[in-house]
Amino acid sequence: MASTQIGSGTSQHIGRIITRAIVTLVMVATLNFILFRIIPGDPASLLLGGARSSVTAEQMVAQQQNWGLDRPLFPDQVVDYLWATLHGDLGFSFKFRGRQVTDLILERLPATIALVGVAQLIAIAVGVMLGLYAGWRRGRAVDHIATGASLALYSTPSFWLGMILIVIFSTTLGWLPGYGAYSPGATIGSLGWLPDYLRHLALPVTAVALGLIGQYVVVARAAMSEVVTEDYMVTARAKGLTNGQMLMRHAFRNAMLPVVTLITLNLGYVVAGAITVEAVFAWPGIGGLTVEALNARDYPVLQGIFLLLGASIVVANLLADVAYGLLDPRVR
Amino acid sequence: MLKLPLSRRVIVKALLLGSAAPWVITSRGFAATSCEDHIVRIASVAAPDTMNPFATWSSFWPLAFTYDFLVGVDAQRYSDRKGFAKEWSVADDNLTWTFKIWPGMKWSDGQPATARDAAFTYEYLRDSVGKPEELNVGWNNTSGLENVESIKALDDETLQIVTKIPTRWPLDNWTMIVPAHVWKNISYKDARGSFLNAPPLIGTGPMIVAEFQPGQFVRYSSNQYFRAGQPAAAGMIEQLFSSADSIAQGLKSGSLDYGAGLTAAQYADLSNDPDIAVGESPIEQRNFLAFNTSSEKGAGSTKALQDPAFRDAIGYAIDQMAIVKRALRGHAAPGVGLVMPVSTDFYSDLSDIRRHFDLAEAGRRLDAAGYRDNDGDGVREDKEGNSFQLELITGPTSGTIEMPIAAVQLIAGWLGQIGIPVSVTQLDSGALKARYADPTNGGGGWDLLVGSDWPSPAPRDLLNLGSSKVSGTRNRSYWSNEKFDKILAELDVTVDLKKSQQLVDRAARLIYAEAPYIILCYPFLLEARRKDCFDSWGTKDAVSQWGYFPLDRLRPHNG
Repeated sequence: MASTQIGSGTSQHIGRIITRAIVTLVMVATLNFILFRIIPGDPASLLLGGARSSVTAEQMVAQQQNWGLDRPLFPDQVVDYLWATLHGDLGFSFKFRGRQVTDLILERLPATIALVGVAQLIAIAVGVMLGLYAGWRRGRAVDHIATGASLALYSTPSFWLGMILIVIFSTTLGWLPGYGAYSPGATIGSLGWLPDYLRHLALPVTAVALGLIGQYVVVARAAMSEVVTEDYMVTARAKGLTNGQMLMRHAFRNAMLPVVTLITLNLGYVVAGAITVEAVFAWPGIGGLTVEALNARDYPVLQGIFLLLGASIVVANLLADVAYGLLDPRVR
Repeated sequence: MLKLPLSRRVIVKALLLGSAAPWVITSRGFAATSCEDHIVRIASVAAPDTMNPFATWSSFWPLAFTYDFLVGVDAQRYSDRKGFAKEWSVADDNLTWTFKIWPGMKWSDGQPATARDAAFTYEYLRDSVGKPEELNVGWNNTSGLENVESIKALDDETLQIVTKIPTRWPLDNWTMIVPAHVWKNISYKDARGSFLNAPPLIGTGPMIVAEFQPGQFVRYSSNQYFRAGQPAAAGMIEQLFSSADSIAQGLKSGSLDYGAGLTAAQYADLSNDPDIAVGESPIEQRNFLAFNTSSEKGAGSTKALQDPAFRDAIGYAIDQMAIVKRALRGHAAPGVGLVMPVSTDFYSDLSDIRRHFDLAEAGRRLDAAGYRDNDGDGVREDKEGNSFQLELITGPTSGTIEMPIAAVQLIAGWLGQIGIPVSVTQLDSGALKARYADPTNGGGGWDLLVGSDWPSPAPRDLLNLGSSKVSGTRNRSYWSNEKFDKILAELDVTVDLKKSQQLVDRAARLIYAEAPYIILCYPFLLEARRKDCFDSWGTKDAVSQWGYFPLDRLRPHNG
């Protein structure tokens, strides 16, 4: 009987979270549409060329008609957009001359997931362990060094870190390539491709990971510092538990709660990528596509990317809410 | 004491992973820095979108390396550079043009490349005129074809173009000649939009696009059927960047052979490297201060902007030499007239009417024109009695070298000193374009604009900055002048070079006196190349900005 009530409470809790997520997604989609049309700049004029082209007013009108930009924003364009989005159709790119937005995003997504995903994994492994250890050894030299270095890394822009890494490891030492995802001519999936890809991935991953490590260390250290002063830790020590037993059985699990939340939320940013790092390393991910689309006022691509980013963050939040509810019954 | 949870298994795993690292780091499978593969590696700050020349303005280099212009700028400037046509002539009527196509020329797929392909390309464009899908949105467009009477391939090697009026369009058009056997089945709707022309392309240029990875690179293979013989370089890779920082680092590390669009600081840094040669190429770019001369919708904050005497006075408050020295670190020529010195055929020497920097003279002229500081608050008033407070908008223009913001600060400072306060609004390229768009398209409302353009050296293009026909696109100041438009109309029906030069000179003097623009400078393109992989870069501008020269004739070092 009691377990049924708990089960029903959990279901209601998850139901509420999912409903909230859906409402948020609809709002994100609508805001996307409005946001990019507020930015000054007409895609038709940008499509009609750079500094060397001569463009007449007639050509401009023709271009607007061609891409449906002459139709009223409301209701025509906005209703079409929402209806198509609901059916999974993100439309066609202006800049890439009619290519499906979904195809463009799917082409660039793997590179971003590889970059930010690997960086996240490294940062979680290194940052969380280092942070927990620093918190456990609060006030000792290791704590001061880890906290100082983490704050420095956390506050350093990752694109600047990227430039420094290029100068050291690519230009000066010549160990690693400083741009691109793989060498032109390489056949994706071939035997030689993987080491080549990993060589290209090394520096951008390091640039992103270093910043994230700082973030994880700071949060994990704070959580652990709080836990070690709790009464149950004193009791555990009084019961004669070793440091390792206290750390693994009591401190670690309790300190992980805020860390798990941070990890889950950060997973939402895996697809958001690292726009500036991608620009520095000419990494062909979602960040690069965002910059190109922004410069061309490519509304459908921008809408698609921001919808994806919004959705991934909403889903990450949803997972965090669910995980939190499961980890801590008081939340339900 | 805390024991780290390190099992033997974890240690073995770590050792295995660690042992793989040197293999990854030293992997030469696809090493990018070797001269041995004889592949030229160039870099550009560019974002090509499609390889379809009828649908894009953004993919110049990939397309220009693959396809030839019928004649083009380089062929007119240099005797050793040619395009699809080997030679050309015009009949005495100045209407009938005859082009001799290279005999025996082939497309990169081995099919004959003849006058019929050139005729097809022009006819393909011409047939689209007036249709809803008119091909007017890319490098290959219908502009100028309205003046063409007929285009015929008299035989495989002879193309005849008859124009309705005397015009230099047959030489100066920017149409890339495409193979009929590829394009004959492409509808206008597709050619204008969705047809991507996916690599490998088929062209007559020295390097043919073999692979295009948006946001990453364009890979070219050398054309075995190139009319001058297969290029000695095995191929080319154009790496695409969003900033010049990576280009400078790539040159230093040896992973790039050539890069352009460098900043002054990068140029200075690279010039100290013994393995790198740097160069500054004069180009057709001009940077200017434009006045919003509109008197109707989209007008500026004061009617003074419409007064040539006001604009002329401001001209004395601009020190072009200081802009070159302080803002561009000497990598530019000071601006004077509409035509830049590099455009030798049409350059007008305006030294007899040139304004010289003199703030006192600027003040005197403003006083004389009725723009005085009557209330003694240090700010002049216009003729309506309103104190000046001008908005200057600025930002990058796609496809041009960016103007340092220091230049704008200098201008604002000088104008402040003569009692005309200026507030600066910095915009990105899209927003700037929206602000200077024609007022009927929502633009206008600004006072001053610091911008740039990069016209072709064709006379019409050089003068477009003052043409009322392209107001709000090429003509940023909305300036409209009947006399100027009349000269342009006359220029359109003039083939004779000398007469064209006279007309350009008249137009340049007229617009200089009316001063809708103050030309600030003509910036140089800063470029660098490595010396260790390839020779035969030549002594002219290192790499043509209007074609593929001298990359068609590079030879591997000691190769």
